[in-house]
Amino acid sequence: MASDGPIHGTWRQKDKARGHEAELSVASGGLASVTDPSSSTTFAEAPLAAIMISDRVGSIPRRLDFIEAGTFETSDNDAIDRLLKGSGRKHTSFVHGLEKFRPRLAIFVVAVIALCFAIYRFAVPVLVEVAIAATPPVVPELMSKSVLASLDGAVFEPTGLSADKQKAIGDGFDQLKALSPRGKDGYHLHYRKGGFIGPNAFALPDGTVILTDELVDMAKDDEMILGVLAHEIGHVDYDHSLRQLYRAAGVTALIMMIGGDIGSGTEDLLVQGTGLLALSHSRSAETQADRNSVELMYKAGKDPAAIVRFFELIRDKFHDTSNADFFSTHPATPERIEETKRYAEEVKAKGS
Amino acid sequence: MDQDIATGSAPTPAPVSLKREPFTFTGTTREYFGIWIVNVLLTILTLGIYSAWAKVRRQRYFYGNTWLAGANFEYHARPVQILIGRLIVVTLLVAYQATAYFAPLVSGIIGVAFIFLLPFFVSRGMRFNARVTSYRNVRFDFTGKYGGAFLAYLLGGALVYGTGGILAPLASQWMWNYSLGNLKYGNRPIKCDPRLEKLYGIWWLPAGILVLGWIVIVAVLIGLAVTFSDRLGELLAIVGESLQESRTEGSEGDVNTPSPMTVLIIVYSILIPFFILYAIAALIYRAGTRNVALNETIIDGRHIMSSEIHRGRFAWISISNLVATIATLGLLRPWAAIRMAKYMASVTALDATSSLEEYFGSIQDSGAAVGAEYLDVEGFDLGF
Repeated sequence: MASDGPIHGTWRQKDKARGHEAELSVASGGLASVTDPSSSTTFAEAPLAAIMISDRVGSIPRRLDFIEAGTFETSDNDAIDRLLKGSGRKHTSFVHGLEKFRPRLAIFVVAVIALCFAIYRFAVPVLVEVAIAATPPVVPELMSKSVLASLDGAVFEPTGLSADKQKAIGDGFDQLKALSPRGKDGYHLHYRKGGFIGPNAFALPDGTVILTDELVDMAKDDEMILGVLAHEIGHVDYDHSLRQLYRAAGVTALIMMIGGDIGSGTEDLLVQGTGLLALSHSRSAETQADRNSVELMYKAGKDPAAIVRFFELIRDKFHDTSNADFFSTHPATPERIEETKRYAEEVKAKGS
Repeated sequence: MDQDIATGSAPTPAPVSLKREPFTFTGTTREYFGIWIVNVLLTILTLGIYSAWAKVRRQRYFYGNTWLAGANFEYHARPVQILIGRLIVVTLLVAYQATAYFAPLVSGIIGVAFIFLLPFFVSRGMRFNARVTSYRNVRFDFTGKYGGAFLAYLLGGALVYGTGGILAPLASQWMWNYSLGNLKYGNRPIKCDPRLEKLYGIWWLPAGILVLGWIVIVAVLIGLAVTFSDRLGELLAIVGESLQESRTEGSEGDVNTPSPMTVLIIVYSILIPFFILYAIAALIYRAGTRNVALNETIIDGRHIMSSEIHRGRFAWISISNLVATIATLGLLRPWAAIRMAKYMASVTALDATSSLEEYFGSIQDSGAAVGAEYLDVEGFDLGF
């Protein structure tokens, strides 16, 4: 039990800056004493088990706190480790053992890289699913009410569509609802004058779908509008907005956790980078919603390519022919048209 | 300054022996690499829980390897304190982000309330950090209050942005005065009164770099625009159109927005040179203010701090560290952190006029780490 000899270090009385050269030795009974090597006066004595010993970190000096008396500091980390081991005290240096500069650190490096990838690719999606399953329906309802209220206050004006037009679109929407997973009470269509957001349609997480007068005016026929609404129903069914929120929150929280270890400059760049990745996620959400439109329109006995015709209308109106798409929230229009057209034909062919 | 160094003129009250004690940093990349990779690995494996333990190990390593006059600094925070602080802060931030996403109006109000809470977080965070730091067994303390933090960080920050940086030295004076001047060591005061004219003395260089950089970047942009003038009309048409269209973006699901990618690329390539310019100017300015502030910092009326950062070297180390870290997917981060700590220690010293062994204090760490963790998680850099 006794150590191989006294351990050299510095003694400081509680709360005092003055250091005294000192030696620590442990008697066979487990009693540790700190003495002055020149005069052999005893600074403090305590059972080893009652001394608080700081964990080993690199090779910084260890602190042994003799609770009321003072502190013994020593750079002789190995001697303290031997002391702890000999006294049968819980081995506190497990983490330090991992940290030693050994070839296995290379494995840790590979593990970190693999884990980062795996978390982003697999764990985050799973956690997002869990979070969505655990979200009570009242949350999306509150969120949607609040968004609609703020948009009504800031942007929208009441619709100027005639009652006939509203009924025509509403009847088509009812047909689509009946064929969708949430049933006829799961979706609510609202007409609004879009103000500065112009021709647009969007879905809120509780099943509210908003359609602007401008989009209705732009569309050549009601089927085009229904194609767009079927796309929005897709966003509702796949919980796209909740998913986006949870994913962003989860990834940002993880980056913040290792923020101190990677430096604030790198942290900022990472957060920006995940922002770009989030854009590509929202692209795939758009594709999913497009496919939903094709399938749903087909099931309802309407033109599955109605949304494609709408895209072509936008293309002709805005002359958008750019092909690049990575930075875009939405797939570039020409590609999207091709892809959706192809899918519409596939669905038609399968059905007939 | 209430303490002038005797210049040899009679009558000398007492022989003042000025002893220069340099700071040294003894950490090594080899050692820290292991600590760092285990920190990151365990943090990921525990989905962030270990980050509190990781922070304590990291801080203990850096404090413990910083030496002054034969003794090292020590960091005493307990991981559980840090963990609780972190959980509270992350919960608040996530809740805030959620409201920002779904109820922008409400979140605006919360955001304003949050701004007024910030000085409270700052003062509490600084107190926590001071109280868990010790040197020669004696703890630091911090006595700054809400009002001082409000002046130094909110008004000071507004002043910097509001005057385009012209009054930045005034804000720096407030900040250093608050953050260092409220520090106590063993119940003895630390005074930090950086003089405005000295702060303006180091302000010219970064300000000049900024102005010159602006002129160069704008000239290059105009040059490019003239060279490609035949395609400029086309480009502007795309930009104009996309700007118009980007207004049609809804919160989601807008089916009619064409790719704004061209605009993004143009905007980014114009902004990136400006970001780099501002980063360089900020680094140079920051190094200069640290020199001025520390050189006018007096501990207990008798020891004088000294800081001699070479501004160009500091900017170079910062930028090359960031580039090296990113280029190696973070693997060179331990090297970069050690390199910076070594440099900062090597340019810092204390001119002691008497023994550093006579201090005593009874400060114990207290309170939650919420303020400190808010500063930490949000990446506040208090060495502005």
